[in-house]
Amino acid sequence: MMRPFSRRELLRRCGMGFGALGLWHLLAENGELTAAPAAAAGPLAPRPPHFPGRAKRVLHLFMNGGPSHVDTFDPKPALARYAGQPLPRPNLRTERRTGAAFPSPFKFRKYGQSGIEVSELFPHVASCIDDICVIRSMYADVPNHEPSLMLMNCGEARLVRPSFGSWVTYGLGSENQNLPGFIVMCPGGYPIQESQNWQSAFLPGVYQGTYINTANVGLDRLIENIRNRAVSREQQRQQLDLLAQLNQRHRERRGDDPRLEARIQSFELAFGMQRDAEEAFDISREPAHIRNLYGPGVQARQLLIARRLLEKGVRFVQVWTGEGQPWDNHDDLEVNHRRLARDCDQAIGALLKDLKQRGMLDETLVIWGGEFGRTPTVELPTPGANAGRINGRDHNHWGFTMWLAGGGVKGGYVHGATDEFGFQAVENRMHVHDLHATLLWLLGFDHERFTYRYAGRDFRLTDVHGRVVREIIA
Amino acid sequence: MKLHICSLCWLFVVSPLAIAQTEPSFAPAAIEFFERRVRPVLAEHCFSCHGPEKQRGGVRLDGRAHLVRPRDAGPLVVPGLPDKSALIRALRHEGEIKMPPKGKLAPGQIDDIATWIRQGAAWPADNNEPSTPADWRDHWAFRPVRMPKVPHVPTAGPTPQPIDAFIAVKLAEKGIAPAPRADARTLLRRLYVDLVGLPPTFEEVEDFVRAYGGGRSQAAVAAVVDRLLSSPHFGERWARHWLDVARYADSKGYVFQEERRYPYAYTYRDYVIDAFNRDLPFDRFILEQLAADRLVAAHQAEPKVQAALGFLTLGRRFLNNIHDIIDDRIDVVSRGLMGLTVTCARCHDHKYDPVPMKDYYSLYGVFASSIEPKELPLLQTPAATEETVRFQKQLAELKAAVAKFEEDHKKELAANNRKFRDQLVALQRKVDAFQATAPGAPPRAMVLVDAPAPIQPRVFLRGNPNMPGPVVPRQFLEALSGSDRKPFREGSGRLELARAIASADNPLTARVFVNRVWLHLFGVGLVSTPSDFGRRSDPPSHPELLDYLAATFMNDGWSVKKLIRSIVLSETYQRDASATSGTALDPENRLYWRGHRRRLDFEALRDALLAVGGNLERALGGPAVDITKSPFSGRRTIYGFIDRQNLPGMFRTFDFPNPDTTSPQRFETTVPQQALFLLNNAFVQEQARRVVQRADPTGRLDTAAKIQELYRLIYARAAEDEEVRLGEAFVQHAVGPAEMTPWERYAQVLLLANEFVFVD
Repeated sequence: MMRPFSRRELLRRCGMGFGALGLWHLLAENGELTAAPAAAAGPLAPRPPHFPGRAKRVLHLFMNGGPSHVDTFDPKPALARYAGQPLPRPNLRTERRTGAAFPSPFKFRKYGQSGIEVSELFPHVASCIDDICVIRSMYADVPNHEPSLMLMNCGEARLVRPSFGSWVTYGLGSENQNLPGFIVMCPGGYPIQESQNWQSAFLPGVYQGTYINTANVGLDRLIENIRNRAVSREQQRQQLDLLAQLNQRHRERRGDDPRLEARIQSFELAFGMQRDAEEAFDISREPAHIRNLYGPGVQARQLLIARRLLEKGVRFVQVWTGEGQPWDNHDDLEVNHRRLARDCDQAIGALLKDLKQRGMLDETLVIWGGEFGRTPTVELPTPGANAGRINGRDHNHWGFTMWLAGGGVKGGYVHGATDEFGFQAVENRMHVHDLHATLLWLLGFDHERFTYRYAGRDFRLTDVHGRVVREIIA
Repeated sequence: MKLHICSLCWLFVVSPLAIAQTEPSFAPAAIEFFERRVRPVLAEHCFSCHGPEKQRGGVRLDGRAHLVRPRDAGPLVVPGLPDKSALIRALRHEGEIKMPPKGKLAPGQIDDIATWIRQGAAWPADNNEPSTPADWRDHWAFRPVRMPKVPHVPTAGPTPQPIDAFIAVKLAEKGIAPAPRADARTLLRRLYVDLVGLPPTFEEVEDFVRAYGGGRSQAAVAAVVDRLLSSPHFGERWARHWLDVARYADSKGYVFQEERRYPYAYTYRDYVIDAFNRDLPFDRFILEQLAADRLVAAHQAEPKVQAALGFLTLGRRFLNNIHDIIDDRIDVVSRGLMGLTVTCARCHDHKYDPVPMKDYYSLYGVFASSIEPKELPLLQTPAATEETVRFQKQLAELKAAVAKFEEDHKKELAANNRKFRDQLVALQRKVDAFQATAPGAPPRAMVLVDAPAPIQPRVFLRGNPNMPGPVVPRQFLEALSGSDRKPFREGSGRLELARAIASADNPLTARVFVNRVWLHLFGVGLVSTPSDFGRRSDPPSHPELLDYLAATFMNDGWSVKKLIRSIVLSETYQRDASATSGTALDPENRLYWRGHRRRLDFEALRDALLAVGGNLERALGGPAVDITKSPFSGRRTIYGFIDRQNLPGMFRTFDFPNPDTTSPQRFETTVPQQALFLLNNAFVQEQARRVVQRADPTGRLDTAAKIQELYRLIYARAAEDEEVRLGEAFVQHAVGPAEMTPWERYAQVLLLANEFVFVD
């Protein structure tokens, strides 16, 4: 039956609050305990999904602000025919008024054996196109950032619901108990909607994303309380040895209580975590050729950290472009998209190649995309709202592109299509709920059965929606 | 061996007969499958023609009895044999009858129904027709609270008090020998942590040990309990439990560019502390939290009571979407006060509990007819101190700037020019921020008042405000109203709603609250889902005890202190937590044969660290403070600023509940991040330094004496010889210089140990 349910039952039968059992399982894994009791599941202990999944871990590259699909992965030559003129159909309603057709200033060409067209913005990503499944028929519900971010991350535009990463970590646990199971990186500060994007809502707080500001370099600024400024490692070891002795005396008089044991071991784990985290975030340990492959800059650094984390068994890593909404180019789209793509293209391409050469890509589900796309028509000047330069695009939830790689998806494959101008998804339309259902399926979950009982009902990531899109599964 | 097999066969042969005579019972998994995969499909596609109202073709599908009954054409469902079931043939369009008429179901849906039949066609026994009066009225939680008869327990000693008698009956049934009472030290610490959230001092423990004596004087226990109940720290401890229910936070969540802080949320928090300290009757507490404005207007309450309305107003603001704000308010009222999941009925009738969609919109109308005034009322007339005068002057200047901007840029603002609108928001934000931070800001109540004209709510079809349906009156829930339900008449109806909830006739309110109190004192509620008493919740472990507590609570004038007092004076509460006599028969202690070992929660842990460090501030109330940053505040944790948008890691790590929705119960997780905080955070290190300073302010004590003093301060007991030896060895062999001295490192270890964090 349902894994999370039976686990809860298990915990309840053993008289613990949820997760109170602590860390038996992983202790056994670390060889520190040989015979863990049957109920020895810590909140992050690895556990199997409903059925064997194709993907074991997730990397979500979140292009926040909304990259333009007609300038990246969805070429629309028809726009050139109407350049500067109204489209032969009314513009769909988006956040602001848009005007004439705005052909992409970027050149597209075919890549790989599949011959999928990609614009000049992403040559390195394009060089991996035969491993990529481009979904050109995504659509969402509204043309505003906040609800669209919530929908993409939590499957619900307004109400407080757990994020995709929280669900996955809740369902699968994590392979490395010395690091958080769900890590979120965003340089410079939060995206808009902030930590709600990775909230655990009614799931236990341990499944919430751990935010890391990758603009920082020092480890102690990356993870809270990871370093001790007052005592050395050797001195701390002495403290922990005394602690173990005192705790042992305390426990001997209190019979068998796994909660006492779990807390004792949590200190040893914390001690190990200080070492492991330091190692995971230190990219100087990578050989020069790998660092060169990713290139310079903060995007390269955070993607290289992401790979190291995934390699160490972190279940879900989400990497954002940056604080606020960088891809939200209502003005000067050409300049800004060029800059944003240049900052990350080499590193994303390197990451895909790197995962592949390590044999990790098959089981790593890579997701690329924003909360929506952008209009194929130019945004009109609105006093106070934009700079009035008439060279940007508005938000577009009617149709946009996301791509997936690894984790059991069909590489070199295009799914769905927008209309001839790229305004609206028309063929094999795929709602965000469908995307979630499909991603969960790739991870081994039936999205309709992957539920959590809260406030009198069973909640799920896809609420009452979602369809697994089998066409994109290899 | 042979005999064994035979007896198994016999079981198989007999069981179908048994089923024929009584209701079969099904595995929870099978019921789950039915509820999730089958019932919704039948309900959506079949019940309208084959349900309680219509039975086209004589076919009725909304109960197992209808499905399996013999018919000329064969039963609709033959449990175990989908291919022989007429229902499946009709769904597969195999015969003449093709259902549903509008078109074949999806293959997956038909497969699910076939699977369900193959596995025995499970149907919950008491649950054949959800939400029909006949059976929901039988649900234990909807039955009126009646004072049960206290069972007679044969015993050699004195007659047990009622709580112990109810517990004893079940233990005797199971044959479990209950644990003895805990020793004096353990009991005192348990009482301190449970009642005031702070550890006792060494002197307090010694006094109690003497008073308790070998005779286990219950008079001594009662004296301590009375002292703790009258301590102002009692209110701080129990208010925090209530603030979990009230989803209390000091901020609005994400609201674009507006000021995020609620400048006056703390006035609600302080009201709650005061209410628990004064032992405000709980029914009155409800009235004030839902309708203090009406009570004040009718001169039935002092103006300062209006702070109680924060219960409704300080939820998340959902980008100021009014429908979601109202939904949040309905949720906190219905789940928080009555353990009823009313918000399930926002988009459709409740699937399991008797809450039709119409009832949701009746309550929606109450809250939609209540508004937040722009100028919040002062809690008291501020004294004209220099500080308040300065505050008023600066505030007036900031407000004038807003007014001037509005005047100067009328045209642009009217045209909704984004740039000017943003500037206006920024100016307004300055006003709000000033009020949130200025020390002289006089406290105000976050009230809700009735709108001048109440609205007539409409049902929003499928929960969509763009699809208004029929008009419904503002009125109380049908299931809890009896046959003479009348629409609310006074203003929004909030006061009438409050009276209906805070009523001795409401079967839920008292039960839900006494269960919450029990939960905090025993770690697990008599009902294990404290905010869901609906039909899908587990029944109480001790239904008569629950009713006894609820009835007594109401008879005692809804006195929270009397309720707590009676529980902590029971033998059941005072039992030793380390006993093992019932481990085999009841490992999770659901029958309360032993004491419950608690772990200090976030607040109690931080407060205990401050207390032993000697820098706990004991002042009550006031604006929230940042407790995450150095210099560290000495205020109790309940006064820490709670930012619901980006809750600091420290709160989350220690299982602080998500303040976005009402929290039924905290999780208890054990994760290395907790250990990292205790090892590495400067706050903990500072407390270690302070406790060493307290133990030996002049630096003259010898090693053993200093260890003894630290044990007295941290654990309120003397150190044993072996413990002294361990301590001596540590400070002697401590390596190298560090920012923390060997003694400070030693004291930190004592603060980290399980003895400090667990309460037996």
